[in-house]
Amino acid sequence: MTELTILGYCSGDSVLHKTDVRFKIACLIMISITTISANFWALSMLTLVLAVTFMHVGLSLTSAFKTLRYVFVLLMFIFIARILSSPGTPVFAFSKISVTREGIYDGVSICWRLLDVIVVGILFVSTTRSLEIKSAVAWLLHPIPFIPAKRVATMMSLVMRFMPVILDQARETADAQRARGVENRKNPIYRMSKLGIGLMRRTFERADKLAYAMEARCYSEERTDPALDSDSNDWIMLVFVMALCIAMTVV
Amino acid sequence: MDIIEIVNLSHRFSNGTLGLNKINLSIRKGTFVVIGGLNGSGKTTLLKHLNGLLLPHTGIVKINGVPVSKNLLRARQIVGMVFQDADSQIVGETVYDDVAFGPENLLLNRAEIEKRVSEALTCVGLIDIAEQRPHVLSGGEKRRLTIAGILAMEPQVLVFDEPFSNLDYPGRQQVLEQILSLHASGHTILIATHDLEDVMTYADRLILMKDGVVVKDGSPDKLIDDLIVLGILEPRGFRFEMEMPS
Repeated sequence: MTELTILGYCSGDSVLHKTDVRFKIACLIMISITTISANFWALSMLTLVLAVTFMHVGLSLTSAFKTLRYVFVLLMFIFIARILSSPGTPVFAFSKISVTREGIYDGVSICWRLLDVIVVGILFVSTTRSLEIKSAVAWLLHPIPFIPAKRVATMMSLVMRFMPVILDQARETADAQRARGVENRKNPIYRMSKLGIGLMRRTFERADKLAYAMEARCYSEERTDPALDSDSNDWIMLVFVMALCIAMTVV
Repeated sequence: MDIIEIVNLSHRFSNGTLGLNKINLSIRKGTFVVIGGLNGSGKTTLLKHLNGLLLPHTGIVKINGVPVSKNLLRARQIVGMVFQDADSQIVGETVYDDVAFGPENLLLNRAEIEKRVSEALTCVGLIDIAEQRPHVLSGGEKRRLTIAGILAMEPQVLVFDEPFSNLDYPGRQQVLEQILSLHASGHTILIATHDLEDVMTYADRLILMKDGVVVKDGSPDKLIDDLIVLGILEPRGFRFEMEMPS
């Protein structure tokens, strides 16, 4: 059985599941922009709200940690780069390398901001069907001239839909290579190239099969998309997020 | 009345290999046809011509008297195809969404889509798990989901490519029962398989292919001796001269 990841739609009955996707996109943009300049207090406030929302939506923390394990590695690199490159009061020094107080502060705040934005993205993706995203993107792009709104929206929804499939494929290919002792090869470039070639080939093969299956069911840009309906709850959600963003800016 | 007419159909792949060579077939409405042959014999290539996923280099394929290439959407609506790999056919994020995919592509209104999805899921016995994520279903359930996805488009012909591959025994039984019930409800059934074990008894007609050519075509009981010659495993009942269940 395929291992479930949270990087895909998970059906549910939460407030976020019921919120109109256009409002969710607006909230996602507002939170992401506010987070760029958020301080520790603002980040604590946002993290608290996100933690409560995460539990309310019913996502598994274990699954989240598993899915984000490589993101944590990336964040660790960002943190190390930051603490070693920021000038300021040294906390620890060895030869020409020094870790500064300002570097630690910067590193923690940047990683925290990134993590919060990633969690917001996960909440969005796991509570929104890719077809709803397609409808919303087409609606948002519709007034802009010279942009084929439906085509852009179709491409975006397909990418969103098949991200978990590609990740699943990557895991299977990596498992198959581990079973043949790839871990004995210490050169990371060799391992990455072997994984990349296999993964690309299988992904394209699978994409071919999918394209056939979708064609067989008459897929085209012109289709009955999910209806976009907003009600008072969506506006309440928007006002709440706006208030949160204002509070994050003033603290 | 012939629902499918294939006249002098040949197909050559982009690398120059001849996939199909001068195929001539007519399929009567409401029949249960099994297309047998080894891997690479051209079964899937033939099926893909029935709904225009592949187009002939020479020859013509007609569905209800109209060439497939004249109206691809019509052909795809009449001929529903269930692929070998169920995972690659499932595109929806929930069971419901996946079945709704076809009717949405047909630009039906929301009420009609909901009606069709509900009927198709009831027909395959998956209505209780409509909000489930498809990837957590068993192999048999996934295959039934792909059948529901096709049924919601209300096709007249159902084409199955290796419908029993990668399924355990209960899964095979579920899918077979589903196919038989669809045949009983008036659908024309075409099954391409190298494993005749489950379907041989129920078929009205057996077509055997080799190297892109139809080498035998007739009643299944009259073609038993040809199976071994073509390298196809005989169904167990025939091997041990047992009476097959009806």
